[in-house]
Amino acid sequence: MIEVKNLTKQYGHHTAINDLNFSIDAGEIVGFLGPNGAGKTTTMNIMTGFIAATRGDVTINGLDIIAEPEEAKKQIGYLPDTPPVYGDMRVDEYLSFVADIKGVKRTGRKEMLTDIKQKLHIDDVSRRLIKNLSRGYRQRVGLAQAMVGRPRVIIMDEPTIGLDPKQIIEMREVVKGLGRYHTVILSSHIMQEVSAVCDRVMIINKGRIVAQGTPESLSHSLNKSAGKIQIRVKADATQVREALKEFTVIRHINVLESREAGTIDIELAGDEGVDIREPIFRCFAKNNLPLLLMKSMDLSLEEIFLTLTGDLRTQAMGYESPEEEVMQNDSDL
Amino acid sequence: MIAIYKKEIRTYFTQMVGYTFLAFLLLLMGMFFTFVNVFGQSGRFSEVLAAASILFFILVPILTMRLFSEEARHKTDQLLYTSPLSVMQIVLGKFFAAFSLFLMGVALTVIFPLILTRYAIHGLPVSQIAGSYIGFILIGACTIAVGMFISVLTDNQIIAAVATFAAIYVMFIMESIAMTMPVSAVASLVFVAALVLAVAGIWYYSTRHWLSSAVLAVLGVAVAVGLYFYNNLIYDAIIVRVLLWFSLYTRFHLLSFGILNLADLVYYASFAALFVYLTMNIIEKRRWR
Repeated sequence: MIEVKNLTKQYGHHTAINDLNFSIDAGEIVGFLGPNGAGKTTTMNIMTGFIAATRGDVTINGLDIIAEPEEAKKQIGYLPDTPPVYGDMRVDEYLSFVADIKGVKRTGRKEMLTDIKQKLHIDDVSRRLIKNLSRGYRQRVGLAQAMVGRPRVIIMDEPTIGLDPKQIIEMREVVKGLGRYHTVILSSHIMQEVSAVCDRVMIINKGRIVAQGTPESLSHSLNKSAGKIQIRVKADATQVREALKEFTVIRHINVLESREAGTIDIELAGDEGVDIREPIFRCFAKNNLPLLLMKSMDLSLEEIFLTLTGDLRTQAMGYESPEEEVMQNDSDL
Repeated sequence: MIAIYKKEIRTYFTQMVGYTFLAFLLLLMGMFFTFVNVFGQSGRFSEVLAAASILFFILVPILTMRLFSEEARHKTDQLLYTSPLSVMQIVLGKFFAAFSLFLMGVALTVIFPLILTRYAIHGLPVSQIAGSYIGFILIGACTIAVGMFISVLTDNQIIAAVATFAAIYVMFIMESIAMTMPVSAVASLVFVAALVLAVAGIWYYSTRHWLSSAVLAVLGVAVAVGLYFYNNLIYDAIIVRVLLWFSLYTRFHLLSFGILNLADLVYYASFAALFVYLTMNIIEKRRWR
């Protein structure tokens, strides 16, 4: 569906993206994950034909975005990081303008627009001026714009930025729903978001893909603490050590600080390939020490992300809370 | 293109820009009409048009300042440039929208000569008025193209407006500037040499090929100097001639006498087309930056 080959973009001497290669199949939901300034937006801007690459090709459904821009762009709906809405238009006016510029046929257009508005729950603001809408609604109008004309591919740059938690959950549902008909690419610097909706994740840092795969496989393959288990026992440290003495498969015991009065948290690791969960349960049961919690300590996507993208400074930048940009109203002349 | 055109026209009237422009145009024309035709008891409406054409430097920025700068400011340009529309369709849609609003205003001013017909015993100088109208409209098209070009260069409407104001004002005083230029052959030679070097510079800027640019510069200057020794009559007042040739308003005088000259029409049309083309070129270039 989408082929990206040797994509490079340089701004003067600064290389924004460096020799990117990937392909995306029809119907996939793919997430670009990376700190701010990693090259996600640049990649998306090139894929949608907004800017041109220094080197490399992008083909959408077999159509080259540079050689056949008009046809290729018909296959794409794009929601940039700032929703490209006109404040002085009503939602309905705006969507039919978008349908016009995308060359959507008159027949069935009204039904399509109504359908999109219902899906995104913006049908109740159809007659409102966009400049009077809240950020969340504006974002959804932006997404509605991308869906107009039912393009095969929908590309979204940071679709949940600036939304409140309820809107974020709604937006995730919408994105999941899109996956049934469209191929979806979205970018984010928030891990939960990507792991919640995407079939595949590409972690981008400094203009390169540093890892890709399903959220689970990424988590699995990079899991340095594989097999580690954390437990919480209603006992003290000596009792636990006593109980675990006879327990030979345990390779590593680490007593963590107590989180709950009268209990103790312990990190345990067994030999490779040995499931120690059941023996642990039986061991503590035999010693009459109540086991209150047991969980495996997989690396979260967040930790993988930080491991891959490296230094702490990048981390700090990646986690700056997304300041909501105050949109200027169109009151100029 | 139609979609962009319709959207621009609608925006003109939802943002008050359209009303401001029309009101301002009619107010000024009404004032000139009152002073020249009513108080002066004259039927020469072409004088009103000539006076009003000077005011393009205030009127046109109102029309053009927001065309592209507002899209860039609100990031809505991303929508346009990622849509299946070509850059040409977008630029032409915007140009014709601004031009149509201008024509709308011009159409409303036709009422003034119509009023005059009631009082003109010996008839009105129709050909002069028609010629002036043609000139007025053509200068409007050219200055709108210039304003649109300036608006694509910045995402700040105020800067676009002021720069457009300045550009049109310079075009207006071009004749006066031309008259103050030296006419001696040596000055002309220096001017031509500077032009040649400027062309070579632009060539280098767009191709980054220093050898061909250097050859162009050296050959150009050599030819200019050679011509100077061969026949320096060519250089007689060349600065004045070039500047006058570029002046939008010089040609307006002929038109206001009712003289319709094909060369002038072609000049105006190509002037507007050049700036429409440059606008498209800037947008295309920006994608590759």
